Amino acid sequence: MGSNTSDTEENRLNWPSIILDSIKRLNPWLLKDNLVMFVTELTFFIVFIMAVDPTLIPKVSSASENGFYAIVALILIITVWFSTLSDSIAEAQIRNTASSLRKMKEQMTAKRLKSSNRNNFEVVPSDQLRRGDLVLIDHGEKVPIDSEVIEGIAMVDESLLTGESANVRKSVGTTLLGGSVVTTDSLVARVSSNPDETYVSKLINLVESSSRPKTPNEIALSVLIAGFTAIFSIIIIALLFLGITLDLGIDLAVLIALYVCLLPTTIGALLPAIGISGINRMSVKRIIAKSGKAIEASGDTDALLLDKTGTITKGMRKAVRFIPSGKHTEREVGEAALLSSWDDDTPEGKSIVELSYNLGFIPHSFSTLDRSEFEEFSAATRRSSIKMSDTREFLLPKGGRGILQRKRLRRKFEPGLQQPDLEIVKGAPDAIIEYVKNKPPDFDSILTKISEDGATIMGVAEAGDVLGFIKLKDEVKPGVKEKIRALRDMDIEVVMVTGDQPQTAGIISKDVGIDDFIAKARPETKYELVKEEQKAGKIVSMIGDGTNDAPALSVADVGLAMASGTEPAKEAANMVDLESNPSKIIDVVMLGKQILMTRGTVTTFSIANDIAKYFVIVPIMFGALPELGALNLMHLSPHVAVLSALVYNAIIIPALIPLALRGTVFKPSSTMKIFLKNVMIYGLGGIILPFIAIKFFAILITVLGGVA
Amino acid sequence: MLTLEDLFVVVLVWGIVIICAWFLSKYLFFVFMGARNRLDRLFLPIENLIYWLGGVDSSRKMGWKEYFKALFYLNAAQAIIAFFILMFQQSLPLNPMHYPGMSWSLALNTVLSFSSNTNLQHYNGETTLSYLSQMSAIQFLQFTSAATGLAAGVAVIRGFAGKAKTIGNFYYDYVRSLTRVLLPLAFIAAIVLIALGVPQSIGGYSSVPTLQRGAYEILYNGPIASLVSIMQLGTNGGGYFGANSAYPLQNPTQLSNLFEIGLMMFIPTAILFLFGRTVGDNREGRTLFLSAYAIYGIDLVIAFLSTTNIAQGIEVRFGGVTSAFWTVTTTAFTTGSLNASLGAFNPIVILTAFFGMLIQGAPGGIGIGAMYLIMYVIVTIFLVGLMAGRTPEYLGIKIEGRDVKLAIAAFLTHPIIILIPTVLAFAIGAEKAVGVTSNSTGFTTIFYEFTSAAANNGSDFLGAAGNTVFFNVATGIVMWLGRYLPILFLLAIADSVAVRKRSPSQGLKTGNISFVVILVVSIFILTVLTFFPFLVLGPVLQFLQGFNTSVGGVIFGF
Amino acid sequence: MTRLKSVSGAVRMTVISLIICGMIFPLVMTGIGQVAMPWQSNGSQVYFDGKSIGSELISQNFSEPVFFHPRNDSASGVDPDITMADAMSQVPRIHNATGIPEAFLNATLIKYTQRTLFFFGTPYINVLDVNLYLVEEFPAVYSQYIQ
Repeated sequence: MGSNTSDTEENRLNWPSIILDSIKRLNPWLLKDNLVMFVTELTFFIVFIMAVDPTLIPKVSSASENGFYAIVALILIITVWFSTLSDSIAEAQIRNTASSLRKMKEQMTAKRLKSSNRNNFEVVPSDQLRRGDLVLIDHGEKVPIDSEVIEGIAMVDESLLTGESANVRKSVGTTLLGGSVVTTDSLVARVSSNPDETYVSKLINLVESSSRPKTPNEIALSVLIAGFTAIFSIIIIALLFLGITLDLGIDLAVLIALYVCLLPTTIGALLPAIGISGINRMSVKRIIAKSGKAIEASGDTDALLLDKTGTITKGMRKAVRFIPSGKHTEREVGEAALLSSWDDDTPEGKSIVELSYNLGFIPHSFSTLDRSEFEEFSAATRRSSIKMSDTREFLLPKGGRGILQRKRLRRKFEPGLQQPDLEIVKGAPDAIIEYVKNKPPDFDSILTKISEDGATIMGVAEAGDVLGFIKLKDEVKPGVKEKIRALRDMDIEVVMVTGDQPQTAGIISKDVGIDDFIAKARPETKYELVKEEQKAGKIVSMIGDGTNDAPALSVADVGLAMASGTEPAKEAANMVDLESNPSKIIDVVMLGKQILMTRGTVTTFSIANDIAKYFVIVPIMFGALPELGALNLMHLSPHVAVLSALVYNAIIIPALIPLALRGTVFKPSSTMKIFLKNVMIYGLGGIILPFIAIKFFAILITVLGGVA
Repeated sequence: MLTLEDLFVVVLVWGIVIICAWFLSKYLFFVFMGARNRLDRLFLPIENLIYWLGGVDSSRKMGWKEYFKALFYLNAAQAIIAFFILMFQQSLPLNPMHYPGMSWSLALNTVLSFSSNTNLQHYNGETTLSYLSQMSAIQFLQFTSAATGLAAGVAVIRGFAGKAKTIGNFYYDYVRSLTRVLLPLAFIAAIVLIALGVPQSIGGYSSVPTLQRGAYEILYNGPIASLVSIMQLGTNGGGYFGANSAYPLQNPTQLSNLFEIGLMMFIPTAILFLFGRTVGDNREGRTLFLSAYAIYGIDLVIAFLSTTNIAQGIEVRFGGVTSAFWTVTTTAFTTGSLNASLGAFNPIVILTAFFGMLIQGAPGGIGIGAMYLIMYVIVTIFLVGLMAGRTPEYLGIKIEGRDVKLAIAAFLTHPIIILIPTVLAFAIGAEKAVGVTSNSTGFTTIFYEFTSAAANNGSDFLGAAGNTVFFNVATGIVMWLGRYLPILFLLAIADSVAVRKRSPSQGLKTGNISFVVILVVSIFILTVLTFFPFLVLGPVLQFLQGFNTSVGGVIFGF
Repeated sequence: MTRLKSVSGAVRMTVISLIICGMIFPLVMTGIGQVAMPWQSNGSQVYFDGKSIGSELISQNFSEPVFFHPRNDSASGVDPDITMADAMSQVPRIHNATGIPEAFLNATLIKYTQRTLFFFGTPYINVLDVNLYLVEEFPAVYSQYIQ
């Protein structure tokens, strides 16, 4: 899978169809869910009637004003159209994204067998597979879909799915998880589910569907908008009656202009688009959210649980050094390590072989490997060992560790027939002590010294004697440190969860700037931690992939599952990352914040604008009260005042469409700092800007009117 | 220019009141928030006797509906009993002047007014009410409406603090408000007022010959000091006399004048501090206090700048400064008592009075002011809080759709119940019956009447002239809606947040000065957005017609 | 049942509140006032020749030119005070009507000067106090004008 779908393709919008769609959306019946726009359209009809025949609405209109009414009506309907346009653009964007997500899935191919003959296969996109199909998976290839092994034995890397870095041995009858990688041999497997039934496919459909339930904050905002609409409706109706009763010389079109200007049209117009574009931005990052609610919750994250392996570090420990113990030399350690790791297919094992080879520590007893018996790492003993029975000379083939050759040699060997001459054991330091029974005097001091920087240490022992240590280090992912700092700046508590020893965990977490970590984590640790944090009132976000994580994912407020993860994990989570990059949980939090912030900035801006609009229209609204001219701060004549305020009110919607679709830009810093900065820009700015902009439009209208 | 006199008065009164209120808030915390204290030995037996006699359970936790029902039923029963006392005072004792009973509409208006802590008076007390009516209808309702307001405020605060996981029990709050707060404070205040020259007797009115031959004066007396004490302390505002606290027997000297100003500020200010104490963070109380006092202070400065010296309608012994101080304070605290005629002031002072009443939380009436401030905080936090990139939170409580709905409903109550009857009054020509013409002054008069009624303030231009069936009934309805709807909505919010999960890491911090500034600006903007055109048609137009120059110029004296 | 109970609770609590707040409290205060501060409690009445001539706090109807006159307007209608400026403007009239030297009248006004804010603010005088002083100082002049 790859995310190299070109952005231009996603952003290429079909404008004619968007415009057609936006015009269709002007249908009042379709607008009824958007109160403000519905009301605005209603006022359009009233003013339209006034334009057609002013006498139909007597007392508050004048016959000579047809032209003015027509212009007002035009601006009103354009205002509504700007709103439907923003919806149409957002919908078009998300459809584009969804179809590119589908394409992305198609890019994965599978070798479908036409018969039981392994060589008779065709290469098809993985989404054409159906339940019961047989697929061939050669070594080095990804498992295209969940399936069951029916032929062959192989080692499979499920590290991205389960977090376990050790490869898993898969034989007939075992289950293969889509997204895992076959690292040795090849397998034939039977597909166990249809591609459309996979959870991710369902989620993509969900993203595209236009019936999205409102999020809690959208609901609350709608209430606020409805409240303001009610307030302004009462004001306008009261003014209308007062105007008639007290003969204040009002014009209904002017009153309606004031009404529409006061209504929170900006946020009313853009609120749906902000929500859709938020989901879209997630999708562009290859994250599919089950609901907008989950995206919102991610913005509220108080505590973020990060797995060390895969999220903070690359998840691949590499041997970096051999350290001898007692009288032994570095070479002895390196040679023994090579022998012990020769049959170890884990990334660690491979890296040990590579380090020995690069340092030139090639053992003389290398030839005996063909008669060796390898005992895999087991969780019970926490060590692996190799037993060798002969020390016949054997030269390493040129080019190094030819894997096929090694296998051929091994097949000749029948384990258990001869007594071993030599046994090399490697594993966790305390497991080594358990094996050798007597601990060298310098064991602890060396161990402490070399594990200071958070490295993982393995001990190597030969024939009951500790030779020394292998130091393995995991690499911190690039960019993670900065992202964690950003999270901490935004007052989010970051907790690292790892199976490592506390000391090791402490060093890594300190290195990347995390203050809290849970070491020696067991599978149920995450669940307990999520519950505990939630009990303290926190909103908890986490990532998970393995089935073990499913309970924690389901209770977490935000659970991001890896697409490569197991189905239960994906179903328990409320978001899935198609790229299976655990570090993206951090981006999810930022995106969540951005969506909330965008709603907030447009809302505040919308309401703050009203002050200027009052000062533009109220002074010219009562024809019978010329004294109010003193409040006409911008010295606008009645028609110009009304039109320039209405034009501003309409133009600001498309002007803010990019903001709505792209989101409010912010630098990670403390919540209060971000808040105050936005208050200055959108609150104070929202008060001042319309004064300037309306004056500008007034001048423009005056000039254009002069020309006309 | 602000004068030294202005500063002197404000520093003196504010200083003393704020210090005393700080200590009162400690006391209120002990009274209402469940801590046992030494005073229990004195008060508990009395309170238990009251609960027993009343047949009420003071220990059961009440939900918002039950709390409100208990509150409303009690207030309704009190209004009904007072209604009959007013209508049939001629047949009841303590009526040495043999005043007849009130008309049904005036009695209705009066009981709706006093039970809702409004104290709008369409009558002149000294020529209308018997001693029994003054005591057992007026003073009685002044005590109980203040206790009701205090109880509701305490319940809302308790809910937001969330420590008790409930809004409490109405009878517990109501009885303790009376026994431990209002009666003892009113007792002290009444003694001080008597000492300062406010009469306290039931000896009947007499006509005495005065110094100049052939001249007589009616020497009014009555249970005035006891009434004035609770009327100011309980932010009631309804006076013994039609002229209210301008009348020398109700407010004899500058000392009594400043004392009475202090009385009306005392409990509402303490409640703001009580909020901080109860939520366990004094900074939160400080935010409400600073915001409320900032608005109050801005109004004061504008009023001082627009008030010249002694004019018609201003009592000589108070002068312009403390009359303006009183007028702004009585509207800011929604008390409604007056020590000068409203007509005496520049329209800009009336504008500040409007602001006090329309905001109702700057700092607002007893118990209710804190409630309104909390409502503004919720609306404000939701309006701007999303900009922090988090779901808006207050005190760690996530603000939900229902909270916004209820807070908006409380906020909407005002425009609905003020604008509809104002329009209606002009539409049916009701203003002509009370001698009001359809000009800016007339509009101000009617708009003020309903604003004062809705805000449970009680000051007005009409006074006894407002005694028509339309105004009696219309303002009566407005007063009760303006009283009980916001209480209902805020109790509903408080009850739900009382048990809501609280987040320890509050994203948006409300206990600091920047939030105070945002809250103050937001309160002004919300109020201006809602009432701007009507304020323009009233006091602003009056001002413009009177001075006919640019706005900025005159206020600030250029 | 619960409704009946809450209604009966409301009625009984109303009666108890009425007795405590609407009867006991004002009557107790009246008792205390009458016993401890009878002069204030009964309206701060001023006595002349042993007879009450009304409250010091209430303006009296002085219409004869020999007296200082109160204001006609004011918020309460019974404002007992006039500003110093107002009083000063009346000095020539009283001088003409009574023959009392203007210097004496001015001195009297200064003697009776109060200020709206204790030690500063607008100066004013209590009309009754000043008139009573004049009556006591010039009994012959005023005897025909008083009760």
